[in-house]
Amino acid sequence: MVRGLRCSLGGTEVLRGLDLEVNPGEIVGLLGPNGAGKSTLLRCVAGLLPFSGQIKVRGQPVSSSERRGLGPRELALQVALMPQNTTLTSAFPAADVVMMGRYPHQGRFQAESAEDRRAVKNAMAFTGTEALALQPINQMSGGERQRVLFAKVLAQDTPLLLLDEPSSGLDLAHQQLTFSYAQTLASQGRTIVAAVQDLRLASTFCTRVILLSQGLILAQGTPQEVLTGQNLEAAYGVKVRVYVNLATGQFDFHLDGAEPSETAPLVHVIGGGGSASSVLRLLTQAGYRVTTGVLSPGDSDLYVANVFELPSIVSPPFGPIEEAAHRENCSRVREADLVVLCNLVVGAQNLRNLEAATHANELVVLEDQPMSERDFTGGAALDAYSKLTARARVMRSAEFPRWLKTLF
Amino acid sequence: MTPVIPDRQAWWVLLPLAVALGGLVLLATAVGSVSVPLGDAVTVILARLGVPATFLASLPDPKWDAIIFLVRLPRVLGATVIGAALAVAGTVMQGLLRNPLADPGLIGVSSGAGFGAVLSIALGFAATSSWSLPVFASVGSLVATSIIFLLAIRAGKMGLFTLILAGMAVGTFFGASTSLVLTFASHDSIAQFLFWSMGNLYNVRWESLQLVALPIGGGIFLLLWFARDLNVLLLGEEEAQAVGVDVFRTRLVLLVLVSAVTASAVCISGPISFVGLVVPHILRLLLGPNHRLLVPAAALGGAAFLVVCDLVARLALGAQEINVGIVTALVGAPYFVFLLLRSVKRGIDL
Repeated sequence: MVRGLRCSLGGTEVLRGLDLEVNPGEIVGLLGPNGAGKSTLLRCVAGLLPFSGQIKVRGQPVSSSERRGLGPRELALQVALMPQNTTLTSAFPAADVVMMGRYPHQGRFQAESAEDRRAVKNAMAFTGTEALALQPINQMSGGERQRVLFAKVLAQDTPLLLLDEPSSGLDLAHQQLTFSYAQTLASQGRTIVAAVQDLRLASTFCTRVILLSQGLILAQGTPQEVLTGQNLEAAYGVKVRVYVNLATGQFDFHLDGAEPSETAPLVHVIGGGGSASSVLRLLTQAGYRVTTGVLSPGDSDLYVANVFELPSIVSPPFGPIEEAAHRENCSRVREADLVVLCNLVVGAQNLRNLEAATHANELVVLEDQPMSERDFTGGAALDAYSKLTARARVMRSAEFPRWLKTLF
Repeated sequence: MTPVIPDRQAWWVLLPLAVALGGLVLLATAVGSVSVPLGDAVTVILARLGVPATFLASLPDPKWDAIIFLVRLPRVLGATVIGAALAVAGTVMQGLLRNPLADPGLIGVSSGAGFGAVLSIALGFAATSSWSLPVFASVGSLVATSIIFLLAIRAGKMGLFTLILAGMAVGTFFGASTSLVLTFASHDSIAQFLFWSMGNLYNVRWESLQLVALPIGGGIFLLLWFARDLNVLLLGEEEAQAVGVDVFRTRLVLLVLVSAVTASAVCISGPISFVGLVVPHILRLLLGPNHRLLVPAAALGGAAFLVVCDLVARLALGAQEINVGIVTALVGAPYFVFLLLRSVKRGIDL
């Protein structure tokens, strides 16, 4: 439990009054940009920094600049910290390093007990580092070293584990592994608080996340509640798109530039069936104001448009485009400085999209396959299409990005 | 009480070292300007240890007894104790500062002792009492060390950098004060100080051993208990604190013990350089970074090193003895340069 936590480092106030509470079995992710105070918070809880305010671990106060609480050894029985950058220059074998995690359990005049040895063995088995036991820690790869240090924190056998960017510098598999260790530990009733840079990992593994910004808590709650585009923009100062990755079902994040200006050229994209996705992304990132239509629910183009929060015209699936949608589409086409007709498949349902395109001031047609192969209307689409291409610029999708750069 | 030594394997290092040390001590007592047959030397020592005459091959020769018991044995034991003290102090300093080139001189022990010694010589106390110089030297080193600690401790913290810089400043100050006193001293006093400052074991008697045996023995014993803390401190200050080491208190206790042990050694022998640097370093290369093995090994290895150096000092130039500090420096300085060059090559900034 943390109340009114403030901490200054080198004259600047890094933490400016934090209140938070963490319950047993939780995996709490601390998120926020560099310098938000994630590491400082962890180090305060681990008793490494003087702070004002109150920190209690299982009801017992941590020593602050104002009053004495748990001493270093007592605190080390409750809290284990895995620091971010450990400078290990000495050639201790991994097993010895892990045994150092047992320090608070050992009396000054005691040799290692059977329990110490068991804890070290279990911790190394858990992290799969048994084979490294005799290898000097300063000669290991980053991934091996990190796992050994994780084993050391485990061997300390504390109810609360603080991990400062435990997966930084690790490859994909080891990042995942580190957090699945954390998950297993939490299921055993241990509490984990981790500073995390990777929002994706945080949203997958954390039961709760706390978003820090400039030494204050900006938001806390479930990843769904906290990781919104609005919160992330406030914390990181850049536009972040938050969406659910349809393939993985996980949260995903996409960074793009600032909002397009009011005077940016207006582009209307006509697509469907996935043909417009890359075009929508390209135009948004290039800073255009983009609209799209007519799409039907469930279309992956609509999914992309929603991720980028683009105005889109929607009509129910499995029927021809409704009159209202069509009329709106036509007016969007007329307003647009540029209309892009993607390499879409045309059937009876979306035939009216081609009709709408005829109102374009400036039309680009992306063609990767001839319309004859994409026409499922029995010729009507081909007719309309050839009328359109007569007065449009036709190019392959692959050529579009380069052409776009020459524009405006 | 369970042993502080990590495991049974360690005894395979420590036991041969101890046996070698015993052999060297025996050899060093027997060999000298007058050589005593080894058998007679053993007989004298055993008789003095209280072994009844019936168990001995022959009766101890009173002539040998005088040489060995009154002259050589205290001197060789002095080398043993002082060598152990300096090597252990060096090991702890290097571990504490995480720098292989650190030694107790950094916390002002030798410069303070030097100033104490020069005062005792220049003011004439040294001439009147043989106790005066050791007492002045140890008081001087304790004063210098205390000043350094007071400077380095701020708000319940002791920065290692502050400690080193304060140590340099105070060391320089005491060194200059020593030179100032020497400027006004007589030639005899200067010669006497110079002789002291080169480090020697001429004047080691049973009485001086009695004086330092307890602080050195006790200090080394206590330092052995902190070997585990030293290991954890090697991980870094925050790491150590995170597993429950009271970094400030531990550092302070270790530094006080180191200065007490070193000051005791310096007060009877003068500053003997490089023992505290060379021995720990060789042992670290051979045995790895574990202080629970390193500290006891340094005690035995340092003792053996100084016994050998003292033997060389006594025998090298025939009748003319040289100061043991010269021998250790002649061995130590080239090694120091070697370390320096190797560190530079590895890109370690000193």
